[in-house]
Amino acid sequence: MNKMASQKDPAQVEEVIDEASGKVYLSPCQIACPLGEDIQRNHAMIALLPLDGQETINQIIKIGDEIYEKNPLFPVCSYICGLCEKECNYKDQTGAVRRRMLVRFLNNYYLPYLETKPPLPPPTREKVALIGGGPGSLMCAYELSKKGYQVTILERGSQLGGALRYIPHYRLPTNIIDTTLNNLVRIAHIEVKLGVRMSNGGKTLDDIKNEGYRAVFIATGTPNPRPLTIERERVTGEDLEGVMFGLNLLWDINQGNVSPHLFQGKRVIVVGGGNVAFDVARTARRLGGDVSIVCLECEDKSSKDGIPADIEEIEGSSEEGIRIIYSRGVEEIIGEDGKFKKIKCPRCTSVFDEAGAFNPKSDRSDVIYLESDVLLITIGQAPERAFFQQEGLLDEKGKLDIEQLSLMSNRKEGIFIGGDVRRVGFVAEAMRDGMIAAESIDRYLRGKDLRIGREKEYESATIPKRIDYKPQPELVWAPVEERLNFEPFEKGFALEEAVEEARRCLYCGPCKSCKGCVVLGLQPKIPEIEFNEDLCISCGNCVYYCPYDAAKMESPGGVHFDLAACRGCGLCVAMCPSLALELENWEGERISTLISQLSSETKPPKILVFRCQWAASPPLNEEPAPNIRVIDLPCAARVDTFHILEAFQKGVGGVLVAACSEEDCHRGMGSREAQRSVVALRERLGQLGLQERLHFCTVAPRYPEEFDKELEQFSQKIEAICSKEGQK
Amino acid sequence: MIVTTQKPLDEILDFISPYTNVLIAGCDGCTQPPRGLREAKTLSQLLELGGKLRNKDFNFKTTTTAKQCDYYLTTSALKPQIEEMEAVLSLACGIGVQTLAELFTEIPAFPVQNTHFMGAEEREAGILEERCVGCGDCLIALTGGICPVARCSKGLLNGACGGSKDGKCELNSERDCGWILIYEQLKKQGKLQNLKEFRPPRDYQLSAWRVTT
Repeated sequence: MNKMASQKDPAQVEEVIDEASGKVYLSPCQIACPLGEDIQRNHAMIALLPLDGQETINQIIKIGDEIYEKNPLFPVCSYICGLCEKECNYKDQTGAVRRRMLVRFLNNYYLPYLETKPPLPPPTREKVALIGGGPGSLMCAYELSKKGYQVTILERGSQLGGALRYIPHYRLPTNIIDTTLNNLVRIAHIEVKLGVRMSNGGKTLDDIKNEGYRAVFIATGTPNPRPLTIERERVTGEDLEGVMFGLNLLWDINQGNVSPHLFQGKRVIVVGGGNVAFDVARTARRLGGDVSIVCLECEDKSSKDGIPADIEEIEGSSEEGIRIIYSRGVEEIIGEDGKFKKIKCPRCTSVFDEAGAFNPKSDRSDVIYLESDVLLITIGQAPERAFFQQEGLLDEKGKLDIEQLSLMSNRKEGIFIGGDVRRVGFVAEAMRDGMIAAESIDRYLRGKDLRIGREKEYESATIPKRIDYKPQPELVWAPVEERLNFEPFEKGFALEEAVEEARRCLYCGPCKSCKGCVVLGLQPKIPEIEFNEDLCISCGNCVYYCPYDAAKMESPGGVHFDLAACRGCGLCVAMCPSLALELENWEGERISTLISQLSSETKPPKILVFRCQWAASPPLNEEPAPNIRVIDLPCAARVDTFHILEAFQKGVGGVLVAACSEEDCHRGMGSREAQRSVVALRERLGQLGLQERLHFCTVAPRYPEEFDKELEQFSQKIEAICSKEGQK
Repeated sequence: MIVTTQKPLDEILDFISPYTNVLIAGCDGCTQPPRGLREAKTLSQLLELGGKLRNKDFNFKTTTTAKQCDYYLTTSALKPQIEEMEAVLSLACGIGVQTLAELFTEIPAFPVQNTHFMGAEEREAGILEERCVGCGDCLIALTGGICPVARCSKGLLNGACGGSKDGKCELNSERDCGWILIYEQLKKQGKLQNLKEFRPPRDYQLSAWRVTT
């Protein structure tokens, strides 16, 4: 091993294994992210962005680069994803942390930079072909390129993007897709071949092999709309004039092939209850239509038969005047003179069966007829199967025969298949398939085992204890009368709003999988609790105070520390009545030495400040006044009564403890408990007439002027007290 | 746990003002919060600061014991430390202080705590309340695990006095009525019939000054 490789970057995230379950312990958002973005770390870094200047932009680019490393399509995902938000521990309190909006905020600064982002080193390894130009292939290409492979994407259409090109522009602007994809192609040295057909007399896998490609990833998606059926029978009447597939409308409108008033004065029915159906309905509304949605599912999203579309889509479309008719199927499409007239809709009694399979049942005696001018069918999509059939990639039942861990075809070696064509899902899920396939292709071409060490199980971190939870910021949408067009209508975060929202993150995951504080230079490494069992009296104070359940009381037994769950705030250390605990880098002895040293170098009236490192970050570079010295703590919770008293014993005239406000405290209840112990100590100092020499204040992080003001007031007070004493 | 509160620093300074070498002995036992090494050290610092204000320099030594009321353990733990000392400040409950006084008759032992009762803590609010009076005749098997002697202001044995209001005691509107707590608990356990059982007056002889193991 060379020397460079053996020196681990201290800010590099590490996997933490949960002691009890043996699984990977991580915050639920990061488990939910198909691409494993370091969400907590990104939030910690956004939360501590400086509020102005070039440094802000530099930091944002640094954060963006970190996300880009995991997800080169993040500027796009920031408009359409949000899988992490669905699992956020905050969801059941006041609402998930708006990660999607936070990442979108980064776009403002990151996209201009992306144009100049240096490319990856030029490829040196084998050629790999990727069929399909959607997110799955793009991700696979990026990952392969990082590993040095020479990648070529073969796309049937005239542009890259796949499913992204079907998303309405009001939801995902074209320029975001174009900037992201064009730069990815440049950065990852992707060769792009457009207009390449694979089936029906087009290229074959053998052709590709003969062109020198050593492996192939197929991610051709689901470009074909699914036809209407009722109880497995195809519904007739799809060929009537006025009946269309919603997917085709989405494609056409994004290609600019549709008149902006296509549905002016027309009644439009959209069949389907998924997000794509809502895209179609809202598009139709923007083309002037009077739109209703008919879906099998019911209104109650918590029911097994609840509507699958996101709540934001449902709320947004009702604001725009779209009606939703729940629990209705389509039995018949009825026309008159070859033109569509109405649909016959029996009541749907059940969508999913006991086993959870899609198996709708209807009551055909309860029927309504819905009339309109246009019918848009948007009930799902299917892959192009002919190619897979011709290539012999299907099993006896006609399904893709794939080894699910490596995504390699069981029928043909070196052929990998993923994305929507394997299983319809979210964009990020298709990208994960691309990521998995890239790893498999690398193993395959190096002759390694495709499966070993790839199965991982996760243990989700729970929500840290807090006194209260900050409210979720409302999404700001343009009013309906201004938004019935194809411009994005969701207002993004400004810098201050982004910082505020990132501060709401509770950092549920283990420190070693984040290290946001380390990358920001707040501390050299994640400190660990050192537990001296000889001194422990099993009183359980640490168990009670720990905001993260890292200290547990076992019966019989005593206190047990789970270092994976510990966040190193030091609250238990400050609360331990038997001095059995120490916090690495902030050991009692080390702080005592520091107090002696600072006190001896300070001029009277000496003032010592114990300050939470988060409360005054980014750190100030100013030289402190000659009579003031500061000790930064990992959290105000670490402040120890005997360190305060020690300062007074060493001749310090005043001690100021500065913490974050309770609601801003990064460490659950650190700020409040620090305040409690300082208040209690102040009360006892009061018995000696010394209470004015100790002061606790909360300051808003990142606003240095608040801290400066507190410090100034306090030093004036201490100067007054000391000069009065001098006169005596 | 035994519930104690800290004495004012001035009172403690008065105790020790004739001496210079003073041992501060913590107790890790049943006081809540535990007054162990941390409190011993904190108190020594406060008393040093207080001493300076009185122009007096003390020489404190701090230590702690597992259970200061245990003659055997305390002899073993403190004997070697106490010998050069002129006085000892005990962070234990009244029992611990008295144990020191009995063990080390030549060296005066002073309490730094006021001892209140045997009780429990509601941590969030930081409140400690009495739960047991040590009557020597435990009857809480019949009262849903809630002691009427300790929890009812009047120590009634056969049900509420009739003066409680909104579940609170007529003598103190902040104090829960013990008998209402008992009633609610027995109701949850389906044992309200326990209330019909007559409990004879307590045998005060059982509240003995001495028992044998």
